[in-house]
Amino acid sequence: MTATAATAATRRGERGWKSAFFTWVLLFPAALWYFLLLVAPLFIVVVFSFGEKARNGGYAPAFTFDNYGQVLERAEPFFASLRLASSGTLLTLLVALPLAYFLATRAGRHKGVLVLLLVVPFWTSFLIRAYSWLIILGPRGAAGVVGDAIGDPAFRILGTEVGVLVGMTYGYLPLMIFPLYVTLERMDRTLVEASKDLGAGRWATFRQITLPIILPGVITGSILVFIPMMGEYVIPAILGYGRTFLIGNALVLDFLEARHWPAGSAKAVGLIALMLVTITFYLWFLNRGRKVRDVSVL
Amino acid sequence: MAERDLNDLLARSMRSRVNRRSFLAAAGLMGGSAALAACTGGGSETTAPTAGATAAPGATPAPATPEPAADIESELFIYNWSDYIAPENIEAFEAMHGLTITYDIFANNEELLAKLQGGASGYDIACPTAEFLPQMIEGGFIDKLDMSRIPNMSLMDPNLLSQDWDPNNEYHVPKDFGTTGILVRKKIVTEPLNSWQDFFDLATGKYSGRVVLVDSLGDVLVMPLKMLGYSLNETDPARLAEARDILLQLAPHVLALDSDTYQDKLATEEAVLCLGWTGPLLELREDEATADTEYVVPSEGTLFWLDVWVKLAGAPHPNASYEWLNWIHEPDVQKAETEYNGYATPNLEAAKIVDPELLADPAIFPPADVMENLEGADPAVTDDAGRIDLWAEFKSSIGR
Amino acid sequence: MSAPAIPAPTAAGHVGRPAARRGERIGGLIEGAFRAHAILVYAFLYLPIVVIIVFAFNGNRLATIWTEFSTEWFGVALDNRVVQRALQNSLIVAFFNAALATLFGTMAALALQRVGKRTRLLFDALTYISIIVPEIVIALATLVFFASAFDILNPILLDVQGGGAGAFTFGFGHATIIAAHILFNTSLVLLLVRARLSGMDRTMVEASYDLFATPWRTFRQITFPQLLPAIVAGFLLAFTFSFDDYVITSFVSGPGSSTLPLFVFGQVKRGVSPETNAVAAMIFGFTIAMLLVGQLALIWQARRRGARDSMAKLISEG
Repeated sequence: MTATAATAATRRGERGWKSAFFTWVLLFPAALWYFLLLVAPLFIVVVFSFGEKARNGGYAPAFTFDNYGQVLERAEPFFASLRLASSGTLLTLLVALPLAYFLATRAGRHKGVLVLLLVVPFWTSFLIRAYSWLIILGPRGAAGVVGDAIGDPAFRILGTEVGVLVGMTYGYLPLMIFPLYVTLERMDRTLVEASKDLGAGRWATFRQITLPIILPGVITGSILVFIPMMGEYVIPAILGYGRTFLIGNALVLDFLEARHWPAGSAKAVGLIALMLVTITFYLWFLNRGRKVRDVSVL
Repeated sequence: MAERDLNDLLARSMRSRVNRRSFLAAAGLMGGSAALAACTGGGSETTAPTAGATAAPGATPAPATPEPAADIESELFIYNWSDYIAPENIEAFEAMHGLTITYDIFANNEELLAKLQGGASGYDIACPTAEFLPQMIEGGFIDKLDMSRIPNMSLMDPNLLSQDWDPNNEYHVPKDFGTTGILVRKKIVTEPLNSWQDFFDLATGKYSGRVVLVDSLGDVLVMPLKMLGYSLNETDPARLAEARDILLQLAPHVLALDSDTYQDKLATEEAVLCLGWTGPLLELREDEATADTEYVVPSEGTLFWLDVWVKLAGAPHPNASYEWLNWIHEPDVQKAETEYNGYATPNLEAAKIVDPELLADPAIFPPADVMENLEGADPAVTDDAGRIDLWAEFKSSIGR
Repeated sequence: MSAPAIPAPTAAGHVGRPAARRGERIGGLIEGAFRAHAILVYAFLYLPIVVIIVFAFNGNRLATIWTEFSTEWFGVALDNRVVQRALQNSLIVAFFNAALATLFGTMAALALQRVGKRTRLLFDALTYISIIVPEIVIALATLVFFASAFDILNPILLDVQGGGAGAFTFGFGHATIIAAHILFNTSLVLLLVRARLSGMDRTMVEASYDLFATPWRTFRQITFPQLLPAIVAGFLLAFTFSFDDYVITSFVSGPGSSTLPLFVFGQVKRGVSPETNAVAAMIFGFTIAMLLVGQLALIWQARRRGARDSMAKLISEG
């Protein structure tokens, strides 16, 4: 027993440098892309953030902290985005979780097709689907029906937070379902059954067996949804009737209308830094006490 | 040093108040009698006889270039608004020269400019709105045009030319123009509506919550500034503060800021008043249910816009580009354009042969007295910090 | 684990029968609730599609007010060269970048299991940053990066090739869009595969090594099948994101490489017309048809082989 174990360990040790080389080969393409198309452009953004607006609009070389000063002054769009993204993520999670669970554990043979059918609608232009929501939720659709029922002719779903949340959940559902599904799907059902055999109640089983397993999925899903929602402004513009002013709007205003690239860049850098800190805390908080720390930053 | 002075000069000329009286007075004649237009349009250029001869419908005119055309390339890359060239014209041009046109779409001027400023390239012809010309010129994104290769420029209404955005008419060929005004469902809004003040009163009063504005800084700011009797290009902080008060009073009553589907909101009667453009007007009028829609050019004055053709720097197909820039203003080609797009043509010869119903429509071809009150956007103020801040504040206050 | 305990008999002498029955009933209710929820969600997802299709047959120019039934817009859409080109471009771009991103992301996910903590941290940070960056910022910055790179590289290229007509230079087009999309999609796949990898049963992998299987063999027969659902899911999501992306694409595209979202966004500026709906309806119809064909083909093939496979196996294996 010890002899084979020792030999095995030696073999693993021998594979040392070859293994390391192989690891770097595996990592290379992604690393290359991150460097060229993320680090380099971000470097440009940081350089911009310390510059000045060129007379013709755009960027003029300079070194100043003015843009960052401005960021702190006008923080309202940030909080508006934060509110929207938080409620949107929560709603999306609540809608996605039961469905992901159903698909992973109850769908049996039809699993694959059903999962595919989830994404097919998203291959039709998002904008067209958003405009369909205008019809569905509009005065000649749901709002009209509800308005008649409660006797309020001016009842509106569009142009309110409800309409926006519906649209957000709709747009981001796959991003939440897929991570949940892939973690749930590999959950060992025998554990659940064993737990029930041991007399544990449904809730206890869920809390102690299922939940820890799907936690990585929940984490990944909520991050994949929350972050883009922070930058979202198209859905609120259409379904919210343009009645909110979010970070996305502020950035578009800076880059396209004001053509003040340094100001927009400073806002972007601030946003990135803040979000990174938030996520780090979020992951740390959720991964406390977990032995497997692979979806974590810490 | 000299460059500095030139820059100052340029900057000062851009900031000067854009005066439209002379051009607009005469341009108004276009909407009026064709005979008057013929007189001012001038019959002295070489293309006039050809233009008259090719008034036959459907005939493809022989290009009237005075010098032998250089080798025309086999492709042309056009970067334009969606659906902004009559399909029959694209086909005709392709057939005439045996080339292929690649028609790519952009959604707004700001994006086009940002792309160019970021370094994008590859296109031959683009179609921005005129007030963006100075930035494009200064950035070196568009070429000076050899006007000897575009003889049809002489067919342009001279009062549309030589504006502040291109004083020597070296960089652009006009495409079409229109105004910003008030769309209203007359079936519901029976009160008189002739001015921005009326609009404001109705919007904050009886029709609160049924008002839509286009999501455009330059267009929305026209309302308060004109109500106060100022230029719509105002940047003076005190005056902007007054405009701000008006806008913030209006904000709680606004249903939506929407540049793309305001016609639908008008059609469902969710909105009855709209600060917008004439684009959807023809469609709304065609349908019985919405045929009561009218377009009002407010009495205090309003914005007029001009879309222009430009040749981008580094255009891979320069000869084809020049061909296009000239050919598009062959009168019957231009006539097809006007009738397809529903916007007024700057081409005097073409205006003579445009569908009389369009010519008679005051929303499309405004009459002289209306034209006098029109003001163009000053390119220098499009990114003014005070105006942008005001806009951001207004957007944050909608509905509250 | 201790041996399962046997429930003690209750005072009534039965082994919790009423509780079991109630448990079953609740179980049934819960099952029913899950199914109902699933149906509702699919209805929610497909409702706009139904509306799109219905309104594609709208005779009115205004897409949102129904006047009469008409198929004219399908004709218009099919005739529209810009649409055809846009669709073609969308498919090319989406497929290639999703394929590459899936490859890169999976490789990276596997590699990250084996690297030191600091490298992993760095990679994690980069992954999250790539998702955090607002699209317009990365779009503009990527454009500037490409333009600057081209400005430096193209003169060199021209020199090397002797600069005649037809010389190869870098420009904006399919390649730049694909390259730009790969960034976000790689992160997407990376996160999905890692979520799947976490908590994956390592004992099998270790056993495999102990049995002197080569790493490749271990990967092929143990790790890969377990990862497959995440990999396929990653590809699907990457394809979807790329197919529908507007901001980044609009900034780094070039002549002739406009995608469908560019066309739609541009069209909308001129008023949503049923033509756009017709395009969307046709795409949807085509996709569903392909799905159906694929399913039928697999069933037919399975029947020939005698096994009861289906496309589900591709995704659900694990």
